[in-house]
Amino acid sequence: MPSEVDAVRLRGIGKRFPGVIANHDVDVTIRSGTVHALIGENGAGKSTLMKILYGVQKPDDGTIEINGNEVVLKSPTDAIDNGVGMVFQHFMLADNLTVLENMVLGAEKLHGIGDNARAEIRRISDRFGFELEPDVLVERLGVAARQRLEIAKVLYRGAKIIILDEPTAVLVPQEVDALFANLRELRSAGNSVLFISHKLDEVLAIADDITVMRRGTTVGTADPKTATKHELAELMVGSELPSPETGESTVTDVVELELHDVTLTDEFGRNLLSDISLAIHRGEILGIAGVEGNGQSELVEAIMGMHIPTSGRITLSGEDVTRWHTRKLREAGIGYIPEDRHRHGLLLDSPLWENRILGHQTEAPNVKGPWINRSGARKDTTRIVEEYDVRAPGIDTLARALSGGNQQKLIVGREMSGDPKLLIASHPTRGVDVGAQAAIWGHIKRARKAGLAVLLISADLDELIGLSDTIQVILRGRFVGTFEPSTVTPQDLGAAMTGGQTV
Amino acid sequence: MSTSTTTKNASPGLVQRLTKNWFYLTLVGIAVVSLVRIVTDTNDLDSAGTLRAAIISTCPILMAALGGLWAERAGVVNIGLEGQMILGTWGAAFFTYHYGPWVGILGAALLGMIGGLLHAVATVTFGVDHIVSGVAINLIGAGAATYLAEAVFSDYEGGGPRQLIGLDPPTIITKTPVISEAALDLADKHWFFVSDVASVVAALTTNISTLTFIIFGLVVASAWILWRTSFGLRLRSCGENPQAAETLGVNVYLYKYIAVLVSGALAGIGGGFLALVSSSGYGAGQTGGRGYIGLAAMIFGNWRPGGLLMGALTFGYTDSLRLRDTDAVHALLLLVALALLLIAALRAVRGQINGAIVMGVAGALVLAWFLLTDSVPREFTVMTPYVTTLFVLALGAQRLRMPAADGQQYRKGSAG
Repeated sequence: MPSEVDAVRLRGIGKRFPGVIANHDVDVTIRSGTVHALIGENGAGKSTLMKILYGVQKPDDGTIEINGNEVVLKSPTDAIDNGVGMVFQHFMLADNLTVLENMVLGAEKLHGIGDNARAEIRRISDRFGFELEPDVLVERLGVAARQRLEIAKVLYRGAKIIILDEPTAVLVPQEVDALFANLRELRSAGNSVLFISHKLDEVLAIADDITVMRRGTTVGTADPKTATKHELAELMVGSELPSPETGESTVTDVVELELHDVTLTDEFGRNLLSDISLAIHRGEILGIAGVEGNGQSELVEAIMGMHIPTSGRITLSGEDVTRWHTRKLREAGIGYIPEDRHRHGLLLDSPLWENRILGHQTEAPNVKGPWINRSGARKDTTRIVEEYDVRAPGIDTLARALSGGNQQKLIVGREMSGDPKLLIASHPTRGVDVGAQAAIWGHIKRARKAGLAVLLISADLDELIGLSDTIQVILRGRFVGTFEPSTVTPQDLGAAMTGGQTV
Repeated sequence: MSTSTTTKNASPGLVQRLTKNWFYLTLVGIAVVSLVRIVTDTNDLDSAGTLRAAIISTCPILMAALGGLWAERAGVVNIGLEGQMILGTWGAAFFTYHYGPWVGILGAALLGMIGGLLHAVATVTFGVDHIVSGVAINLIGAGAATYLAEAVFSDYEGGGPRQLIGLDPPTIITKTPVISEAALDLADKHWFFVSDVASVVAALTTNISTLTFIIFGLVVASAWILWRTSFGLRLRSCGENPQAAETLGVNVYLYKYIAVLVSGALAGIGGGFLALVSSSGYGAGQTGGRGYIGLAAMIFGNWRPGGLLMGALTFGYTDSLRLRDTDAVHALLLLVALALLLIAALRAVRGQINGAIVMGVAGALVLAWFLLTDSVPREFTVMTPYVTTLFVLALGAQRLRMPAADGQQYRKGSAG
């Protein structure tokens, strides 16, 4: 029940980094025992604000009140002592440590590091259905399990104010529902939840109060009972939400990429992919839906030549490319937008024009004979920056300095140059803001119209349904259902993705 | 609940299984060595004398490796171990001259710790590249020791600008009643297996420095502290994911400092052992790259106490063999060949065919070398310890896994 005293009151918070004002004049009030949603585009300053509330960063201005007392949070320890816990967007887990070790780290005094802690973990796990085994290494856990571990970590510390930074980004609808059920339970137990998201449907479904941020400051509050998506979107970006709809079909009869019974086995003999067969025609977008970790990455890596299939055949434009290596495949005309742009798509500490060369280091305009063609690459980077609206101070800027959306636009521009025949897009709009999302969708649609075959993998089901010509659902390395985007609903897909009945 | 009882039983079960495995491995190892000794008729292969020399040769490397373990588990690459060791040799000599050997050991640790402090300030506080800082510390350590020796030791009795000899060593157990003599007698019989075990017992009970036991104790203590206490968990978390540790309220800087200071102190003790036990005084250039070898032993030992112990022992053993008896080096070829073939067989059983083939071929080649020659050229004898250690560890170590954030710069507030 909401009590008299507000759980958290942030007043006039400001935070400056060299050259950037991350937050200014931020006011947020979280009533006790409520789920409070904080929404805003990427780069609106939500994450910085959360880090301030969790004591990771110190605010330059403003005051923080928790349960009516003004506090100074110098470190996460202070925040934890004040009952604030946080689940980060990028999980804060050490892969090489066990679930137990990750859980008790920093909170060893509560239940020790031995059997008492083990029992407590099981208690929390059983109570919320987290299914956590204390002695398993975290590297063996899937994304959803890691998130459950993160939430369990916060509960283990007895937090009463729980911050969740974009918790639904990696979940399927059913899992989101399960998470929301947990959040409601937490709320009824008297906890306050701060829920950060830019998915407006979810926000409207779960939140009791909404605060909107834009460009580093709070621009308004809304009541989820009366507010509509459009009003919220306008508050967030000052414009309407883009839609991924593609319009009429451009699918041709020419098969560009074909997979025949591709099976991939890992070193322990487990099947990562089982008998995958698919065909993508020119001008077709094939969408792959699935809970993360069900073989999507392996499928992409098999096509890209990073793993050679154990059995089966892959053909590109009628040519057998099963055993080709990655560079040859790229030269043959495959563009690739990797799922994790920080790990696979970019050199974060290199300038944009060097990143332009990556993956195309054997093609014009990047090379002249055996040497790098510096001026050619730079000129072409300028072209990409302009055509794809990459907002950067210049092509000598380090990739790290760009926002996620602009990094992604640079990658899309790079992969679309050199006339690819096939585009593999893994989560192309993950973690990018609404504006960049619309731009990237536009580029994919244009590519489709120009006759490209596109393999689209996404966790955003609206995106899949909107863009794809056909949707395949993958579960445990197998295709378990084919859907027609014009008739399918996210709920149908979600059911198939989790192994429920295929409609 | 049934689930919790099974895990409770599982954890001691695991320990038991592992120790059992180690126990059997040791038995098989002794049997193989014994076999080679008898086949090649080189009794020096595992005589008490050789083993004693091996232990003395092992200890400094072991300390350097353990120092490396502490630092790297907290995410700091410490290639300054060599420099810290050099500082340790000087510290041991200086403090022993004035206050006796035990204070000398503490002095060695202190000087090593000063080297560690430098490294910590540079890498943790100022974010200097760990390799750059480590190289600088090696240069500073060598330079400082040379300067200090010239400035201080020249006027001492038994001292000169490059040395200080005639220092008291820490307590030596010259003879353990009954056991020493019985073991030596038994070892001299050169029976299969029994004499070899007796050799080990004799080496461990006769003419051995108490510091040796302390050093092996430090390895066990480190393993326990790092893997069985919450302090160790926090320290290791700084090497795996410092951002995560920070969000959970771990003072990452503090733990990194502690780790690097301990690392320096251990390397210093290694230097102290060189000055007081391996020889009877300080000498310039005494460390001879043992800091680097320790680091290598730690890496091939997969950042694990058991692994680095194996690495240090392999090196120490082959080093002592080279110095004592060049014939024995030839016998060592057979030993290495058998070890490689054994590992190959093990891999084949586990179904790792490629690994098995590589090891098998390597083993066969070494075996052919042994069968076709009578002795190993002198040039090769000198590098035996290096080659053998590299060979055994590089081929024996599977899937090296260093701490995930090892060597990376970490800034407070970078979480999230």
